[in-house]
Amino acid sequence: MGALNNPAVGKYCNEFFVSSYQKVATFKIVGGNKQGGNVAAYFCAPDGRVLHCVAGPVDAQTFLREAKWTVETAKAAIEKSKGDGAKFKEFFRKAHAEKLRAEFGLAVEAVTFDPPEPMGDNDALTYRDPTGRPLAPKLPPPPIDGPDVTLDEKKFDKLQKEAAAAPGNRVVACGLEGKGRRVVVTNQSLVHQVMAAHSLVPIERVYGTVFENILGEKISTKPVDVVRPFSWVDKDGNRLKPQR
Amino acid sequence: MRRSALSLAAVALFACPALAGDTCGHGTTLDFVNSPKEAAAIAKKEQKLVLVLHVSGHFEDPGLT
Repeated sequence: MGALNNPAVGKYCNEFFVSSYQKVATFKIVGGNKQGGNVAAYFCAPDGRVLHCVAGPVDAQTFLREAKWTVETAKAAIEKSKGDGAKFKEFFRKAHAEKLRAEFGLAVEAVTFDPPEPMGDNDALTYRDPTGRPLAPKLPPPPIDGPDVTLDEKKFDKLQKEAAAAPGNRVVACGLEGKGRRVVVTNQSLVHQVMAAHSLVPIERVYGTVFENILGEKISTKPVDVVRPFSWVDKDGNRLKPQR
Repeated sequence: MRRSALSLAAVALFACPALAGDTCGHGTTLDFVNSPKEAAAIAKKEQKLVLVLHVSGHFEDPGLT
């Protein structure tokens, strides 16, 4: 059973979220051919700023855990920030850094300011469509400082082995210049790394980084509203035969 | 005239939430509204958060739905 078919996921999400969908065109080149397709779920504030994200398909347990973490962290952030938007943002970014440390044993410094990043036509830090038109900014993640110092090697190795079995696992180098120790990261650890610097950024600015930097698919359009989110099921959920 | 009527009928067939605020599961246990904009307006009113799915390309994963 898929995550979005799971009754517990449905019950929880329908209680705490209002859900919607958009289509994004993406692709990757495999053996000289364009292939593509993926999914990302963004948990957002009502104004569309992204609190958290699940990149790629995950099981129901993972989806539910991430949805609950978002709701609980949002409640704590509201309480702590007392109506101060800057404090809310700071709380959320630090929470992502802390979750990355706790679940993956990786240390990053949360970025608690927003540097000015205007997206002009000539800005190099921009994802573009095949014609060169700017689509979304490249949001650089904060560098991984290294393994959490409170973990001994054995505990860190255990977390690394779990990461090596998770979706999107790959090896990256720590440090600002990427010359430090090599560690295994996953789609979800990369989400926390990006969100430790860019949570509370509008979804239109984040989606490019999620698809290109985390899921490894080039974006070729901005997100667009569609009438059917899943091309393989009809409106009643009946599975459609693949088109030849 | 006939052609545009047929087009409208096709849109009505596939776009299951016909009215603002109506929801449709699209084969999932989630209630989806038509657009993130609509979701945002309802979320603000009901003091909820917003969940937006971005589905891309030729993604077809029976494990998702």
